[in-house]
Amino acid sequence: MISNERGDTTDSFESPASDRPGQAQLIPIGGGKGGVGKSFVVANLAAALAQAGYRVVAVDGDLEGANLHTCLGVPKPQTSLADFVAHREDDLQKLVLPTPIKNLQLIAATDGNLAAPQPSHSRRVRLTRELRKLSADFVLLDLGAGTHSAVMDYFMIGHDGVVVIAPEPTSVENAYAFIRAAFYRRLRLAMVSHDVREIVTTAMDQRNERGIRTPLHLLKEIQSLDSAEGTRFVATMQAFRPRIVINDVRTAEDVKLGFSIRSVCHKYFGIEADYLGYVNHDDKARLSLRSRRPIVDLYPRSDAAIYLSRIARKLAATSSVAASGVRPAEPTTPQPQPSRSSAPVSDSVRSRRPNPGPD
Amino acid sequence: MRPLFEQDHYEVLETRRDATPDQIERSYRMALATYAEDSLAGYSVFTEGDSSAIRERIEMAYRVLADEEARREYDRSLGDPDDLLEAAFDAEAFDDAQPVAHLLSLEEKPAEPEAIAAFEDVDDGRGDFDGARLRRFRLRCGMELDDISRITKINNGYLSAIEEERFADLPSRVYVRGFVTAFASTLGLDTTSVTTSYMKLYDEGQQHRRKSRFF
Repeated sequence: MISNERGDTTDSFESPASDRPGQAQLIPIGGGKGGVGKSFVVANLAAALAQAGYRVVAVDGDLEGANLHTCLGVPKPQTSLADFVAHREDDLQKLVLPTPIKNLQLIAATDGNLAAPQPSHSRRVRLTRELRKLSADFVLLDLGAGTHSAVMDYFMIGHDGVVVIAPEPTSVENAYAFIRAAFYRRLRLAMVSHDVREIVTTAMDQRNERGIRTPLHLLKEIQSLDSAEGTRFVATMQAFRPRIVINDVRTAEDVKLGFSIRSVCHKYFGIEADYLGYVNHDDKARLSLRSRRPIVDLYPRSDAAIYLSRIARKLAATSSVAASGVRPAEPTTPQPQPSRSSAPVSDSVRSRRPNPGPD
Repeated sequence: MRPLFEQDHYEVLETRRDATPDQIERSYRMALATYAEDSLAGYSVFTEGDSSAIRERIEMAYRVLADEEARREYDRSLGDPDDLLEAAFDAEAFDDAQPVAHLLSLEEKPAEPEAIAAFEDVDDGRGDFDGARLRRFRLRCGMELDDISRITKINNGYLSAIEEERFADLPSRVYVRGFVTAFASTLGLDTTSVTTSYMKLYDEGQQHRRKSRFF
């Protein structure tokens, strides 16, 4: 067990749920920038997993801009995560609300305290523990914008959080800052030596005097200073696998952006990112938001719904929930197919699906 | 993972040792796009000096791997890939004191741009096609409408109308049939089944239009 700079132990943030069979799989979903469709993606992935028969809790972690409840069609909740932050409620399970979608529940983030919206560090540690205890197969955590330490701590709940990126310069720029911040924060907590932690802190300043610009530069510095810490660095680097989703794709170039970002993460930062998938631009997305219903529920045959369901299936297939043999209940609605298509599902896909739907 | 300038040519192009010439070509184009001066993925990360150095490195890798003879010679200098793999997983090879070296020795699965296909796990190209599915397939192939237009010589506007099923904006049936066939062929799809299913939609759309006009 390793202490961080505030004297807290790091195991709370370092051990993802996937290491603990029988507990809910926590999937933090961030992106650095607001307005890229994070809440839309979270609401729909949660709904798609619930439709597939998994028990899902969607948690709005954006205490300063809560709107996940709106995406899921839940009227303004009377209880929320803000009650936990303000110590009005210690039992997170009591904040869980039903949604119109079977198997899907919500913890909203409405009515946060404007004077102190973010929980203290110790409260965050408690929150991550409570999240794992929720009665669910999947807990999807919708993170707020920016790289605030609270956001980064939530992102570290799992090794393989999802980063939602829109194909536009501001979003891509913020996504790199987000990935970099998450990696360095994780790294600082993983390092034992005070001197090495100091170097990591120095490297977090992009214009640091030591000229450390990337994690690969930092690795060389640390390796020359302390080989055991270098080994820990490598292990941390290999375990950190953010997963990229490109949202609102309009062109083939937008599709390729995910590969390019993955390549830059690999070549320049030394971070292995996975390209989880992309979501096509779809006018029906706007209609579903206006109707306050997930698009996978309202328009399951729409382009965006097909892609979102596909990503949800990948999430389920690569999760510890699937690995632990948890079988979802019967799907609640037919799985969307390519519109008006009678294309059969390939065997390889069928074998990965938790519970084959009517397709 | 090792710094770019210590990577071998295959790692630079993010392709496999057994890549076909076509795969090398695709990887090269993908790398060039990623590290272009105005690349959306790279502009905020790299200085101009960085990206031009990376592009030079990419060109160097491509020059060797695109030339059959040069590639054979280069492969010989790299050694047997199976030997490298064995060494990477040999417990004796792990040196606690050399984490960087250990990291370098790990076998990596190179990223293949054509892995876009991996996302299309519910669509094997069979069955009925509508405009939206044609668009999805086009994106999967990494092609813009301009690319299809250049190959088929079909006006970009007509291709767009086919994808969006704006039948009123398309010329007469015989032309549409030809356009859809050429579109499907460019995407490597079964032209007969795509054209038959799409034209069924087209006919339904036209029938609906005629009825609407009558009432």
